Amino acid sequence: MKKDKRYAIVLDTRRCIDCKACTVACKTENNVPLPEDTCRNWVTEEPLRGSYPNLGQSFAPSQCNQCENPPCNSVCPTSATGITEGGIVTVNPDKCIGCKYCMLACPYDARYYNEETGAIDKCTFCIQRLAVGRIPACVETCPTKVRTFGDLNDPCSEVSILLAKNRHRVLKPELGTKPFLFYLI
Amino acid sequence: MSLINKKLSRRRFLGMSSCTLATAVVGSQVKVLHALAKNGDVTTPQRGKDDDVFTSCGMCVNKCGVIARVRNGVIEKLDPNPNFIKSRAMLCARGNAGVGVVYDPDRLKYPLIRTGKRGEGKFRRAGWKEALDLVAKKMNEVAEKYTRAGVMFASTEGTYQDHFFMQLAECFGSPNNVRHPTLCLSSNIQGFMATFGTNPTPDVLNADYIIMSGANRSEALITPDSIDMLKGDGGRRKLIYLDPRFTKTAAKADQWYPIKAGTDLAFVLAMINVIVNEGLYNRTFVKENCVGFDKLVPHVRSYTPEWAERECEIPAADIRRIAREFALAAPKAIYYHGRRSSFMANDTQLRRGIAILNAIIGNWDVKGGMVPNSRIKIGRHDYLAPWYDDVPDRLDAGSVAYLSENDGAWVPFRDRVLAGKPYPVKGMMVYKQNVLASVPDRARSLKMMDQMDFICTIDITMSDTAWYSDVVLPEATYLERQDPLESIGGILPVVVWRQPCIKAMFESKPNIWIMKEIAKRLGNEVAEQFQFTIEEVIQTQVKGQPQILKALQTQGVYYEKTDPTYGRTLGKRLRTKSGKVEIYSEKYAKKGLDPLPVYEAPKTTPAGKYRLLVGRHAFFTHGTTSNNPYLNAIMPENTLWLNTEEARRRGLQNGMRVTVRSEVGAQTLKLEVTDKIRPDCVYMAHGFGVLSKGLRTVYGKGGCDAALIGSSYDKISGNAALHETFVQIERA
Repeated sequence: MKKDKRYAIVLDTRRCIDCKACTVACKTENNVPLPEDTCRNWVTEEPLRGSYPNLGQSFAPSQCNQCENPPCNSVCPTSATGITEGGIVTVNPDKCIGCKYCMLACPYDARYYNEETGAIDKCTFCIQRLAVGRIPACVETCPTKVRTFGDLNDPCSEVSILLAKNRHRVLKPELGTKPFLFYLI
Repeated sequence: MSLINKKLSRRRFLGMSSCTLATAVVGSQVKVLHALAKNGDVTTPQRGKDDDVFTSCGMCVNKCGVIARVRNGVIEKLDPNPNFIKSRAMLCARGNAGVGVVYDPDRLKYPLIRTGKRGEGKFRRAGWKEALDLVAKKMNEVAEKYTRAGVMFASTEGTYQDHFFMQLAECFGSPNNVRHPTLCLSSNIQGFMATFGTNPTPDVLNADYIIMSGANRSEALITPDSIDMLKGDGGRRKLIYLDPRFTKTAAKADQWYPIKAGTDLAFVLAMINVIVNEGLYNRTFVKENCVGFDKLVPHVRSYTPEWAERECEIPAADIRRIAREFALAAPKAIYYHGRRSSFMANDTQLRRGIAILNAIIGNWDVKGGMVPNSRIKIGRHDYLAPWYDDVPDRLDAGSVAYLSENDGAWVPFRDRVLAGKPYPVKGMMVYKQNVLASVPDRARSLKMMDQMDFICTIDITMSDTAWYSDVVLPEATYLERQDPLESIGGILPVVVWRQPCIKAMFESKPNIWIMKEIAKRLGNEVAEQFQFTIEEVIQTQVKGQPQILKALQTQGVYYEKTDPTYGRTLGKRLRTKSGKVEIYSEKYAKKGLDPLPVYEAPKTTPAGKYRLLVGRHAFFTHGTTSNNPYLNAIMPENTLWLNTEEARRRGLQNGMRVTVRSEVGAQTLKLEVTDKIRPDCVYMAHGFGVLSKGLRTVYGKGGCDAALIGSSYDKISGNAALHETFVQIERA
C-alpha cells in the first residue's frame, strides 16, 4: 500500500564550504527580499576553534526544520500556518496578518517577515518545484552536495539510506518539535 | 547552537518592519522591471513565451552549464544544467545571481558620450550611430597621428564574443592587445610549459594526497576542483594547505600551515630534497621521461628541511613527513599548482619547482596525477587581417623573457605607455575588462588613461574603467545574446555556447554587432573581414559535426566521453625542446635565466609595516560583480584583516575604520580583527573601493586593493606580483 510522503533534508555539514549558493538560489527561486536578515535558508560561520595558528572552523547551513510538532502552527491566530502534504509547514500569505507570533515561537529562527508581501515567509522545500517533480533549489544548486532531499516514508530513498547508515542528530530535540532536518555527525 | 544564532538579528526587527521598507530591495525580477518601467527605462515589462533555455554561465571563468527558466518573457531563475559534467551539475552563488545582472537598475542602457571632465561622471545619452561614428573617427585619428599601434585593445575573457574584439584589434592593425593572464596565471602557464610543454590539469577527483599553496579552492571556485577537493577516492584523501591566511579551504584541509608569505618555493625545494635524498622518486619515470635530473640532485642539496624551516616557518619534521607521505601516495598525489599565481616577482620559478616536484614522483598523465588537457576540436572562424606596413612591434616587446603575443604583460605595458616609449599609445578600446580595478597601482592606471586622446569602453555596467571613458557602449548581457561555441579543455573536455534567453533589454547590443558596426566605419579593408553573422560563425564551428549543435540544443553541452583518458602522452614526445619533461631547462639557461629554480627570500617586512595579501572569494568575480544586488547583500563591503595579537599590541579594535597606506596609495576601510591571519600580514578582498558612482550598490563601500599594490612583476612571464607590497595602518 502506498504511504503518504514525508519529506526531509539530510545535511552533511562537513562538505559545506560556505559559498552561499543555497542562499542565493533560494532568494531567486522564491523571490525572497535581498537583505541578509530576510532569508529562507542561511549558512552560519561557526566561531573559530582554537587560536592562531591552531585553528578550526565549521560552516552550518540551515533552514526550516519542517517539524512534526511545529510550535509556529499552534500560535497562529488566523490559521495562516498549516501543514501540507509531505509534512511541509506553510504560510498562507492571504490569511497571514503579520503578527509575528510564529517568528517568536519558532525555536530555529526559520521565519521572517516579508515586506513585499506583508506576510511571514519561510522555507517550503520549494513546494512549487516538488509539484513538477523537481528537488528544492538549495539541494540542486549546492556545489558540494551538502543537502540530500527525499521521502523518509520510502525506505529505499536516499535520505532513508543516509539516516540508516550514518549517525545523525536534529536541532533542539529536547523541545519535542520533531524536526525533519537531519544533520550527519 | 550557532546554527540558529540569526535569532538575535531577526528579533531586533520585530515590530519595526516598516522602517526597513526603504532599504528592502525587491527580490522579484518582475518588480524590478516594473520599477524600471516607471523610470521610463523600459516601456513595459516584457511579455513573451515560457521556455527553459540551455546556456552557459558568464559570471566567472568557469562557464558552467545553466538552464534559464523564462516565464512570461522574464528570466525568473537560473538552475544548474544536470548534464554539465565539468561543474558536476552545480551552480554557485554568482551563477544564481546572474538574474541580477540582467535586471540590474545600474545596467548600461544606451550609448553614452562624456560631457564633463574624465572621471566626473557626466555623460549624455547618445544614439548608436553618433557614438559609433565618434569611436571610428577617433580610432582613425589616433592611427593617423601616431600609428595603428597607437590604439590599445584591453579585453576580458570568457564572453565568447571577446574573439570578435580581438579580431577588430588585428584587422584594425594594432598589435597592442592586453588581456588578463598577466594579472592571473601567466607564471603558472610559463612554469609548466617550460617543464612539460603544456599546462596540465590536476586530477583532483582521484588524487589521494593534495598539497595546495595558496590556491583557495573553497572560495576562489574553479570547477570541478572546488567540488572534487572534498570528495576523494575511497575516503583516503589528505589535503595539506599552505596559506598565510586561514581561508575556508584551510577550514576544509586536514592540515593548515600559515606559511610565511612568498616562501612556498623553500617548502617545495625542501620536499624535493627529501624525496631525492631518500630515493623516494619514481626512478623509471625520471630515467625514461625526464631530462636534467642529474643536475637537480646537487642543486637541491643545500635546500634541506632545516633550511626551509628558517625560511617558510614550517617545522622541518613536518616538511620531511609531508614529503614522505606525498611520495608514498604517488602517483595519486598532486602538488596543486593553482590558477591565480600572481603572488611574488619570482613566481615562475615557484611554478617550475612545483612542476618538477610533481614530475619526479611520476604523477604525469596518470589517474590522480597531473593530466594534460584534452580538447574537442571545433571549426575555426577565420579571417584575413589586412597588412599594414608601418605598424611597429608590440609596445611591451622584450619587456619580459616570455611575452605572450596575444595577452601582453599589463604592468610593463602600462609603464611604456606612460613613458611614451618606444612609441606613444593614445587610444584605448576596452572590452569588459575593468582595468582600474584589476591592474595594480590604480593611480598609474589613471595616469595612463589621462594621457589617452580617446577611450571607449564596452561593458554591461558602469565599471570604474567605463566611468573614466569618453564613449561607453552598452553590451547585451550573457543571457541576452547568441554567442559562438567555446571548446573548454580539461580532463573531461566540453563544448558550450550561449543562447539568448530573452531579447536584449534597453538599447544594448551583442559585441559582434558593435564590432561589425565599428569595422564598417573603419574602412573597406576592415569591414570586409566582418561580413559574417553569428549563425555563420557557428556553422563554421560545427562543420562536419552536426551532433555538436544537436547536443547543445537538446542538453546544453557537448562531450564525447564521461571517463577520463589517461596516458595519452606517455611514450610520446612532449612539446618541449627535448621532447621530455625538462627538469633542467636548457631553454632558460640560454636566456640567462635560472635553469633550475633558485630560491629567493622575499624582502624583509620593514618595521611597523605589514605585507598586503589580496584574494578572491566565492561571492564576487574580480572587479565585476560586487554591485550585483544578490551578491552585495551577502558581503556589502570588504574589511582589512589584522591578526588579533597584533591588533591588541597596536591598540586597534575590531570594526574601527583604518587607513591603509602603501608607497602608491591609501585606502580607508573597516578593520577586522581575527586569528585567521599571520601577524606579519594584512588582507583585503578584491572588488571594493570603486570610483564609479554608476555602481550605486557598492559605491562608497570598503577599500580598493589595486589602489595599494605596487607595480612589481615577474620578469619571466610578466605576471603582476600582487603580494610584494608593504603597508602601514593607522586609525582613520
